[in-house]
Amino acid sequence: MTSHLTLAQLAALADGELAGDDLRAAKEHIDACLACANRAIDDWMLKTAVAKAGRRYDAPAEFRDRMAGLIAEGVLPAKSESGVRRVSTGGRANWAALTGWVAAAALLIALGTWGTVHYRSQNGIEAERNALVSEACDLHIAMLAGNGPPQVISSDRHTVKPWFQGKLPFTFNLPEALPADATLDGADLAYLENRPVAQLFFSIGKHHVSVFVEQKNATGVPGALHTSHAGFQVAGFSTQDLDVVAVSDVDPLRLGELMNALQQSQVHR
Amino acid sequence: MTLLPWRRNANEAGREESSFSDLALPLLPGLYNLARWLARDSGDAEDLVQEALLKALRGFGSFEPGTNFKAWIFRILRNTYLTSQTGLAATRTVALEDELNEGGNGGPSVYPEGAIDRRTPEAALLKMRDADALYAAMEKMPPHLKEVIVLCDVEEMKYREIAMVAGIPIGTVMSRIARARAFLRRTLEEQPSAVGREARL
Repeated sequence: MTSHLTLAQLAALADGELAGDDLRAAKEHIDACLACANRAIDDWMLKTAVAKAGRRYDAPAEFRDRMAGLIAEGVLPAKSESGVRRVSTGGRANWAALTGWVAAAALLIALGTWGTVHYRSQNGIEAERNALVSEACDLHIAMLAGNGPPQVISSDRHTVKPWFQGKLPFTFNLPEALPADATLDGADLAYLENRPVAQLFFSIGKHHVSVFVEQKNATGVPGALHTSHAGFQVAGFSTQDLDVVAVSDVDPLRLGELMNALQQSQVHR
Repeated sequence: MTLLPWRRNANEAGREESSFSDLALPLLPGLYNLARWLARDSGDAEDLVQEALLKALRGFGSFEPGTNFKAWIFRILRNTYLTSQTGLAATRTVALEDELNEGGNGGPSVYPEGAIDRRTPEAALLKMRDADALYAAMEKMPPHLKEVIVLCDVEEMKYREIAMVAGIPIGTVMSRIARARAFLRRTLEEQPSAVGREARL
């Protein structure tokens, strides 16, 4: 190695990330090059100094205790069906105790219970759906904000789809023909509600579209979905195996055409 | 179909809570520290960590014990930051030239000839021991560089883990770390040293 080590090589050397031939070559070069030896020492000293200075902020004791308490109580599970159940069971029990001896009331209780469960279950699905829509929009906005280029940049479905092999525990199809004015731009591996999903990037004219494809989950979200959130159009459909959600500021009709094409392509799996 | 690790659910009652607590609580200081560096405000940092913990606990059923929990939860924190108001504002202000340089075209740059040779390691050491100057330099660093340098030097993560957290290729991790150090070095050079500051007082 005759030319000087690059910044990245010096950083990797200080971080212990060089191995094998790369490490041997870097060491040989440093033995013969005073400038690079100084630079390597400089990087190592900087790393040590940052390790010390970077541990600057301690979480306040009150915050640590609060987080520990929340985790211990299991309050965080939000969806904490357990929390909801605790409240509702008590209410139902009291009511039942007061009216339990009346046969007609028993029927009312049964009806009331069914109604409550149905209402809560609908509410639960609605909450899940809102959370999903909100997170999908966040990811789309982050993409628009320029959070790095997609990991695969291609308009070729035969490049984009195979890229996910081994990265996702499911597969999906991309349509052979897209609606007029629509193009595939690339894709990324993303996480939606902490589940791995394929985030596909399309353009419709000058509008960007994020399409999230995930394995169907027990909650049945999104099902058929047509809504708006923070000014974005959100559309979704479910197949037997997949849930698909799209977010864009394009008009709903054109977004619908793209979603139709995607849905049709899943039929021929 | 063989399920990938994250799909193997482990939902036995009781096990989930204790495991999450055991795994997450020791990481709380590191999570808060990174959140604080990124958000630059203690209240925002607390909000970020709390929201990340919420998301992590909600998704914990899909996390396989024994895999890299630290990278997983830091990724959740990082994504939470990116989609926060502060994070979105910060990503919008990343200089275009930063992103262009990152593509890897032409490879990472080298030190300007003679840049280090002009000063001795001892002089550099004096600069780096000036904690206030180093804090100030880190504060000025763009978030996408700050996060990788904190994960690397403070959290002692390997490049592979940082790539998982930041969702970027390892090559980009390498170039960001190199650029982060170059930024710190340059900023420290431009700052008056503590000795100089004292002399002026």
